[in-house]
Amino acid sequence: MQRINANRIYLTLIIALVFQILPWSGFGLYIHPDFVLLVLLYWILRAPKLCSIGTAWLSGLVIDLATGSLFGQNALAYALTAFFAVTYQRRLILFTVWQQTAYVFLLLIVNQICLLVLKLFAGGENPGWLYFLPCISGILLWYVVAFSSVGSHGKSKNN
Amino acid sequence: MDQHESPSFFIQGPSPFSRLVLFAALSISLMATDSRLHYLNEIRQGFIVLLHPFQLIANIPSNAFRSASEYFISQKTLRNENSFLKEQALYQNSELQKLGALKEENDNLRKLLGTAKSSSQPVKLAEIMYMGRDPFTHRIIINLGSRDGVEAGQAVIDSMGVIGQITRTYPFSSEVTLLTDKDLAIPIQIERNSLRAIAFGHGRDNTIDLPYLPGNVDIRKGDKLVTSGIDGIYPTGLAVAEVVDIQSNPNSPFAHIVCNPIAGIENHRQVLVIGFDKRNVDLENNIESNLKAESTPLKSNSKRNSPPKSHATH
Repeated sequence: MQRINANRIYLTLIIALVFQILPWSGFGLYIHPDFVLLVLLYWILRAPKLCSIGTAWLSGLVIDLATGSLFGQNALAYALTAFFAVTYQRRLILFTVWQQTAYVFLLLIVNQICLLVLKLFAGGENPGWLYFLPCISGILLWYVVAFSSVGSHGKSKNN
Repeated sequence: MDQHESPSFFIQGPSPFSRLVLFAALSISLMATDSRLHYLNEIRQGFIVLLHPFQLIANIPSNAFRSASEYFISQKTLRNENSFLKEQALYQNSELQKLGALKEENDNLRKLLGTAKSSSQPVKLAEIMYMGRDPFTHRIIINLGSRDGVEAGQAVIDSMGVIGQITRTYPFSSEVTLLTDKDLAIPIQIERNSLRAIAFGHGRDNTIDLPYLPGNVDIRKGDKLVTSGIDGIYPTGLAVAEVVDIQSNPNSPFAHIVCNPIAGIENHRQVLVIGFDKRNVDLENNIESNLKAESTPLKSNSKRNSPPKSHATH
């Protein structure tokens, strides 16, 4: 069984960041999932000691800087989402894939709603229902990743 | 997976909730600092420089795709395009000859009248790197930054008309707020009768609004809006938009006028950044201080029924 070290977490976060800042255009902008958040949630469920609310908050700050949005906006949303993930982490790792997927979907929606509230406070406009498309694409991606990781998890248990 | 080996039943360190409270407080204070006090611009600029290599990596796939598709372009398309461009150059050259004579004449007339010469503003060619991250704000990122002399407040145009205004500069890139963004205002003039007004982006469906005009205003469908040039940012006479719909509501003293931008706001890769007119340095400082102050959001302006003085608030 391989141990998770912090470097691996940071490396995957950086890769997720590169995915996040890919030059999306057109409809891709509406559907592209929040890669960094997905990677964060993955590590929060797998290694809550190494990756927790603080890591989420810092990654949120990096996203704020990279995307040019209001400083601290994504940081707050990520911290809140990470909090909900950490609180139920012990139960979550015992869930089946479907239950886990449903819970992660809820977390993605929480993140999106938190961002929406902050943007509306900052004087943004109501974006409409398309705003929640990243949750759906995100959960599809999560499902693929969770499937593969649960598979390896089962194997390691057998070992 | 290591926590399965040694599950810790007790939470170590501060509880998740107290951590959340701490980080939430931190981010709220950061948001307040960023939106009201503008202390964090330097940090943002420095970080963007650090992020630049990652951005270049992220741009590789799309650049490779584009160059590949350019490589496999057929000879016929190239030939067609070439002949079209030659034809266009011919027409434009003949127009240009007339323009030179007219300019000379205009300068002479201005000299006779004793007014200042209309100065030309320097222009730089920039390329759009990518659309803004947030599909619900209308921003694009171009490849010229403060190192190339681009400053916040400068106008950005394409071959057909105005696209928007630079709202934030980084060393290697800058952010352009498009005309259709809710937070961008542009002083315009109706080409037909030189009526001056200020146009605002509508935000949602790529249109531009003309608020603050009375219900009986002399505007018709199909009227062309051009820049008035009184702000010293946009040169005079650039095409901005075309009126597509006018509704006058008896309950409101103002007409509801909807316009479509003329420039291909989402079609081009190359745009031109127009530098400031040297005579208008004072004005530029004014705008910059407005940009920095940013304390009057457009909402309060629209309640006041008077056009705001700043041309860009973001």
